[in-house]
Amino acid sequence: MAVLDRMNSMFRRAPRWTYIALALAFALIFPVLEQYGVIETLWLRLGTRTLVYVLLAVGLNLVLGETGLLHLGYVAFFAVGAYTTASLSSPRLGYHWNFWVIIALAMLLSMLFGFFIGLPTLRLRGDYLAIVTLAFGEITRITFNNWESVTNGPGGIPGIYAPNLFGWVVDKPGEFFYLLLAAVIVVVWLLNNIKTSRIGRAWNALREDEIASHHSGVRPLQAKLLAVVLSSGVAGLAGAIFAYYQQFINPTYFLFMQSTIVVCMVVLGGMGSIPGAVIGAVVLDTTPELIRQLFTKWLPDAVGADFLPGVQTALQQDFDRYRMLIFGLAIVLMVIFRPEGLLPNKLWRREVHEDDPRDQANTRQHMFDAEKGAQDLEA
Amino acid sequence: MSDVVLDVHSATKTFGGLKAVNDLSFQIHAGEIVSLIGPNGSGKTTTFNLISGVYEPDSGDVLLRGESIAGLRPDQVYARGISRTFQMLRLFSNMSVMENVLVGMHGRTQANIIDCMFHTPRMRREEEVCVEKARAILAQFPGRFPESRHDQPASSLSYANRRRLEIARALAGEPKLLLLDEPVAGMNPMESMEVMQQIRDLKEAGHTILMIEHDMKVIMGASDRVIAMDHGVKLAEGAPKDVANDPAVVEAYLGRRGADTAS
Repeated sequence: MAVLDRMNSMFRRAPRWTYIALALAFALIFPVLEQYGVIETLWLRLGTRTLVYVLLAVGLNLVLGETGLLHLGYVAFFAVGAYTTASLSSPRLGYHWNFWVIIALAMLLSMLFGFFIGLPTLRLRGDYLAIVTLAFGEITRITFNNWESVTNGPGGIPGIYAPNLFGWVVDKPGEFFYLLLAAVIVVVWLLNNIKTSRIGRAWNALREDEIASHHSGVRPLQAKLLAVVLSSGVAGLAGAIFAYYQQFINPTYFLFMQSTIVVCMVVLGGMGSIPGAVIGAVVLDTTPELIRQLFTKWLPDAVGADFLPGVQTALQQDFDRYRMLIFGLAIVLMVIFRPEGLLPNKLWRREVHEDDPRDQANTRQHMFDAEKGAQDLEA
Repeated sequence: MSDVVLDVHSATKTFGGLKAVNDLSFQIHAGEIVSLIGPNGSGKTTTFNLISGVYEPDSGDVLLRGESIAGLRPDQVYARGISRTFQMLRLFSNMSVMENVLVGMHGRTQANIIDCMFHTPRMRREEEVCVEKARAILAQFPGRFPESRHDQPASSLSYANRRRLEIARALAGEPKLLLLDEPVAGMNPMESMEVMQQIRDLKEAGHTILMIEHDMKVIMGASDRVIAMDHGVKLAEGAPKDVANDPAVVEAYLGRRGADTAS
């Protein structure tokens, strides 16, 4: 973990924009690499999916990291966005609406949905909120699963038309990558602005102490609703683009597991930190694929074809099962060695490392002051 | 208009069969420091909660400058001009010192969601004004919050400084009345004296303060008037010396035999 700490302090020493510029430059040339055959299409597809997760993680961070609400039904808003696209831009219902209208509508619908789910549930705290949002997430998926007349139930909606942005037909993974990248940039910019404003501070205050923030003029329910509604909008946006990209959706894309994965991304990256959410999404979404490639391709290529035959076939056949195993392991390791996340919010570190020497110094100083005070009084 | 800031008018609050505050009436005048004293469970904190909007009185009224604030939510009471601190510290530990004070201004700022999303010039101006104000408030605690500490998390402060920061946060609401719930609890005598001096300074600066306190030195040294409570009822009210020697007050603290021995 020392390596991570050093990376972290490096990260803080250098101006922040250099890292943002580096990440952006890498993202910009990524699809070009695929075009010239430097990387396989597989990686571009993975990268595109990762960007969807980045949107989701950044959106959920608003609720989970900034406002401190454990929301376990986040995938419901993603589903609302995806089904908006699928219903209004596919042969299923015979509509072919404009891309921008659909995006706006998807965000609006998921925000409305967030509002109506939030209104009753946000009065609850802690565990209760988690359970109720989990239930709402499942209810949403089951509804889509059974609402055959619109969603075609488990059969899903195929043949979603490619989006047309002012004449630019987006239908290749590389093009979707750029579309999603643009969405990520806009969303991150807007959310970062809010984070560093009075509204973001109110959210943080709610997370830290609801009663004290209420007595400082923050209206808890209102502020929480705003966080939930905004993050629902981000999920709706992600879902709408995801459906376009996937060209086919059915309810199995919106399992509870998806909500869990996004929560893991936020926690792993570092709650309340936007770069953390981005890194968390990238790491959790790409690591399993890297591990699969390592064992099924790179290692066998390097060592010989019969390298660990059992592992190889197992990983090839049903890797998804092992994915969760790796997730679990990663989270457990993180909780033990780096509870504040990969790229934590700088102030958050203190809370989880209570043995921070700087705090101890303060306590000692305080005890010293107290003793001195008592002596003065006696004297 | 009279200079009555707060008028608690025969307020009663019961929890089940217990009358936590029973027909309590008192007034606080502008520029005064009033201490609320009494043994544990005498209803002091309930009184604070009635004033600050945590509870609504079952009967009676609470008036701030003549307007009823009974039944308002805490954020509304805050907006009307009452800020408070807490017996058990309630700081935003993972936020910086500066942010803690800035949150205290939340209800006094206007930037809406669109301003915040795009950091409009209006929002930036407001933010600058707030930061300036927050600096000025922190500067009222000489030597305790130097610039270098403004970006430190509140959790890194010493206990006494956390208490001070809580007062600073309350001051950020530009209160007409400041409620301090045991401002020197857990402090050593030296720190207590310093905080007492600060409370006096706040009075000099024109603040009106109602505080719950147990430290007799602070009560005697800072307050203009003392209200003693027991079992939810006001026992005595008046100058600190008079209340301290009031037989009913002594009895409430020491019991009847104790009071006999003391007299």
